[in-house]
Amino acid sequence: MKQAAFWKKKFFPPLIGIAALLILWYLICRMEIFSAYVLPSPAKVLESFRKMWISGELFEDVGISVARVLKGFAIAFVLAFILGMLRAVFPAAGPYFEYLVQFFRNVPPLSLIPLLILWCGIGETTKTAIIFLASFFPMYLNIVKGFTGCDRKLLEVGEMFGYSRGESFFRIILPYASADILVGMRIGLGYSWRAIIAAEMVAASTGLGHMILFAQQMSRTDKVIVGILVIGLVGLATDRIFAFLIGKLLKGNYENGWD
Amino acid sequence: MAGIEIRDLKKSYEVDGRQLPVLKGIDLTIPEGRITVVLGRSGCGKTTLLRLVGGLEAPDSGEIRFGASHRTAFVFQEPRLMPWLDVTRNILFGLRGREAEPGLVKDIIETVGLSGFEKAYPAQLSGGMQQRTALARALAYRPSLILMDEPFAALDHFTREQMQQELIRVQETENCSILFVTHSIDEALLLGHRIVIIDQGQVERLYDLEDEGRQRDLLEDRFIHIKREIVAELKGQ
Repeated sequence: MKQAAFWKKKFFPPLIGIAALLILWYLICRMEIFSAYVLPSPAKVLESFRKMWISGELFEDVGISVARVLKGFAIAFVLAFILGMLRAVFPAAGPYFEYLVQFFRNVPPLSLIPLLILWCGIGETTKTAIIFLASFFPMYLNIVKGFTGCDRKLLEVGEMFGYSRGESFFRIILPYASADILVGMRIGLGYSWRAIIAAEMVAASTGLGHMILFAQQMSRTDKVIVGILVIGLVGLATDRIFAFLIGKLLKGNYENGWD
Repeated sequence: MAGIEIRDLKKSYEVDGRQLPVLKGIDLTIPEGRITVVLGRSGCGKTTLLRLVGGLEAPDSGEIRFGASHRTAFVFQEPRLMPWLDVTRNILFGLRGREAEPGLVKDIIETVGLSGFEKAYPAQLSGGMQQRTALARALAYRPSLILMDEPFAALDHFTREQMQQELIRVQETENCSILFVTHSIDEALLLGHRIVIIDQGQVERLYDLEDEGRQRDLLEDRFIHIKREIVAELKGQ
């Protein structure tokens, strides 16, 4: 019984919200407030979704976009981690790159697209670079916050036990920073996902962004909406998977802000 | 020479552009295998002395000479446990790979009365249990010298009493040296082989309680007498 009540409490309110939106959408279409071209009905969108699912073109586009996101995200994470670690273990190294990082942090990645196309062409490198630029900074800032904000009192405990710099880093600073690092990764992943769609709309012949743009050019608003829904769903799914993994990793340690 | 020799130890801190002397030339011998209690009012420099002996800070001048090779553990005023480690792993925190003998943790957990909480995280423990874990972590390190900075200050009367007895027992079995800082006169009288009164950054007086045995009744006349003397000393009379 308790279990049933829990599921009811957890899933009932969100389902009501989704149902309300679908009903509103349906009613607007039914009353023909907008033309079917501007806002196709839920049934039409569902039908397109079904066709794209069966033909496999949806999976192909999703797969390509996800692969690009993972590649750019992984590179950004590794670099953000290394630079963050440098700042924690060798604080004197910080000033050498900190201002450059802060400069580029304030430059929107999309404004660099013209340059990136000029330098890297319209191939995969440009898209990887855009994802890198979008996800690197939130991760870097959170990693640095986690590493440099380590409680001095805990570091002294390691010092008393004769810890080397490396031991202090791996046994105190890194675990202490894990919550901040994971928050940064989650934000970075969200940013990557937004950036890839924009990048694919500008310079690509595959992927979800391209699919949406192509559908718009073909006047297939239903396909555009399918694309938007899929982006939202994939983004939500990756975020949930991430939250689940974080919950597992930080389990029992202390209260974390993840649900 | 055994124990620790402290000679003319000075330390000051810069506060708002001015040098604030905290230790003004401490001379002290800390005997080996004994509990030396440093007693004084808040802000008299007790903690600074402990941090200098522990090597967490460097003195402005003077020297601290250690007798034989030493292995030092520090029990801080706060437990300072790693929140992401359970009790067992917190206790093993000071040890590297193969240093942990099998059964060591079990014995220590029993000693400090934490049986059944081996897998608990610090956030799930009471303040007293956290402090006991911190003591266990220091003991697991098998130190020859334990520095303790008012470790029982945050505990209730009964837990504190129990921990004090435990400390006396552990010191006797391990025969380690303990430098114990407190502002509680009763605690000093109960634990110390030797009591060092520090006031305004200088050693004011030493009390040698070597002959008093380990089970002390502080309501006995001679302890009441010493307590009166110490109170007068600290009040500056």
